[in-house]
Amino acid sequence: MNLKAVSSSFKQQGIQFLADPQWIIPSIIAPFLFTVVALYMYSGVGDIDSPVVLTAVLGGGVLGMWGNMLFASGFTITYDRYNGTIEPIMLTPTHLIDVITGRSIWNTLIGLLNAVLVFVSAELIFGVGVSVAEPLFFFPMLIMTLFSLASIGLMLSALFVLTRASFVVMTILEFPIYVFSGALFPVSVLGGLAPISYVLAPSWGVDALKTTAVHGHESMTEFGIAFSLAMMLFLMLVYIAAAYILFRVIERNIRESGTLVRY
Amino acid sequence: MGLLFIPHCDSDPMAVPECPIIVEHLSKTFKARRRSGLPDKKAVDDISFSVKKGEIFGLLGPNGAGKTTTIKMLSTLLIPDSGTVKILGMDVTVSGNEKEIRKRINLVSGGERGLYYRLTGRQNLKFFSNLYNIDKKKQDGLIDDLLRTVELSDAADVRVEDYSRGMKQRMHIARALVNDPEILYLDEPTIGLDPEIARDVRILIRRLADSGTTILLTTHYMHEAEELCGRIMIISKGRSAGYGTVAELKETVRDTNIIEIITNDDPHHAVVKISGDVSYSNTERSGGRYCTRIQLKDKADILPRLNTIFSEYGIRKIGYDEPTLEDIYLSLVSEDES
Repeated sequence: MNLKAVSSSFKQQGIQFLADPQWIIPSIIAPFLFTVVALYMYSGVGDIDSPVVLTAVLGGGVLGMWGNMLFASGFTITYDRYNGTIEPIMLTPTHLIDVITGRSIWNTLIGLLNAVLVFVSAELIFGVGVSVAEPLFFFPMLIMTLFSLASIGLMLSALFVLTRASFVVMTILEFPIYVFSGALFPVSVLGGLAPISYVLAPSWGVDALKTTAVHGHESMTEFGIAFSLAMMLFLMLVYIAAAYILFRVIERNIRESGTLVRY
Repeated sequence: MGLLFIPHCDSDPMAVPECPIIVEHLSKTFKARRRSGLPDKKAVDDISFSVKKGEIFGLLGPNGAGKTTTIKMLSTLLIPDSGTVKILGMDVTVSGNEKEIRKRINLVSGGERGLYYRLTGRQNLKFFSNLYNIDKKKQDGLIDDLLRTVELSDAADVRVEDYSRGMKQRMHIARALVNDPEILYLDEPTIGLDPEIARDVRILIRRLADSGTTILLTTHYMHEAEELCGRIMIISKGRSAGYGTVAELKETVRDTNIIEIITNDDPHHAVVKISGDVSYSNTERSGGRYCTRIQLKDKADILPRLNTIFSEYGIRKIGYDEPTLEDIYLSLVSEDES
């Protein structure tokens, strides 16, 4: 891995992000809307300070982070295709995945900003008390969940290299995480489809987040939290390994087919 | 009909090869999209050539002839279907070689795309120099040198979106020089540039070659190819239509005559009348007059007949002329197309 390329891609993504106002939509407006939707969905369940509402805010936050991550992963490749910069990148000895990794790290930080925005808007606009029960567990778990989303984004970005219909793919891929991550409702309601959520790293994070955030929520023991963290780490490594393999296969494939620069 | 001349080249990868580029029987076919109903497109069909160290080699041909596909195969962006491509002694088809090759080559494409518009010129160069893993301590000095070379020092900290077309093209060249490439592929580097900037780019290309960089150039401008290139390959429909020095290529039309006729009016109908006797003809309007260049199929003297046919268009000048590279190009391409 070329660490200079990773760090340079991180900076480049940051400069482009700040220079382009359209990023405000997925990074600020979308997470805010997710919070609003989540709060209205759960407004009938209990009063505004109930743990259920805080759970809803967390769910909205996770979905906001995912939407941003997916959009950023897809857009970064699409932009390079459209802009004609994909060829100069491919022409260098650096693997494309190193460039995407740097950009994904930036996107992860923006995801963190999303989460903060969700909490702040819930607190300031809707008056939801966002006091975290176990901050020592909660915040590392939040960051890990975020990285787990980024690792899925990294894996999917290989597919975005392959397809020109990245915006369609992005839209399609947004919903499975809504359903299977347990962000908005418990995975148990999925019945026979619940096992799908076990292969999604964020699902493990979401449960642990709820446990560590909400006072009196006892759905998981400390062992359960540690196990969730371990599963999330394991799945992240699987995703990253899969991303590396996919990128190598796809790079070879596009060099054979000559489809890299079609837009 | 092309001259096939491949100089003896040392292909030992450990040595600095005499010919950094060796291409033998190279072919590439693009598969048509499923359900498009179109046939597969053979973009490059059995071409062979080699380029010596420090040489500027020209690849000429009409749009869609296979020039860019060839350059992409030589720069590892595409994998050939068949044939051999050795770059600096390394086979491009061997998996893993592409990384080593990419460290030592670079490519400039003509056109507006290929730079990050929201980044400044300096930020673009910094980004790409990191992708080439260039030592951080060397980067600042290198980038300043490159900006000076392409005369963009004053615009170094201006966003590329505010650059003119010519500035962007010079930035492309600077970007392609960040890794100090031993081989530089230039795909129509002066397209769309005004004559003054195009001349500056040509001077820069010549300087790079003089410093030992091997250059493969594609261009539609014949004067540019004639001015810069030691040897030229003309390709048409993916095949080699001619190969050699400009003098060698001129030899291929020595058995025919070139006639230039300058008229006041458009002699289109006259050209149609004589189409059976000519290999190709080309009429261009310049300064309110029409200049028609005709290549005859043989040395038959049809000047009196042409005088009669063209007289109604107001002949200002008629006579035999020496073949130019453009005549050879048009002759070879039209012959191949027919």
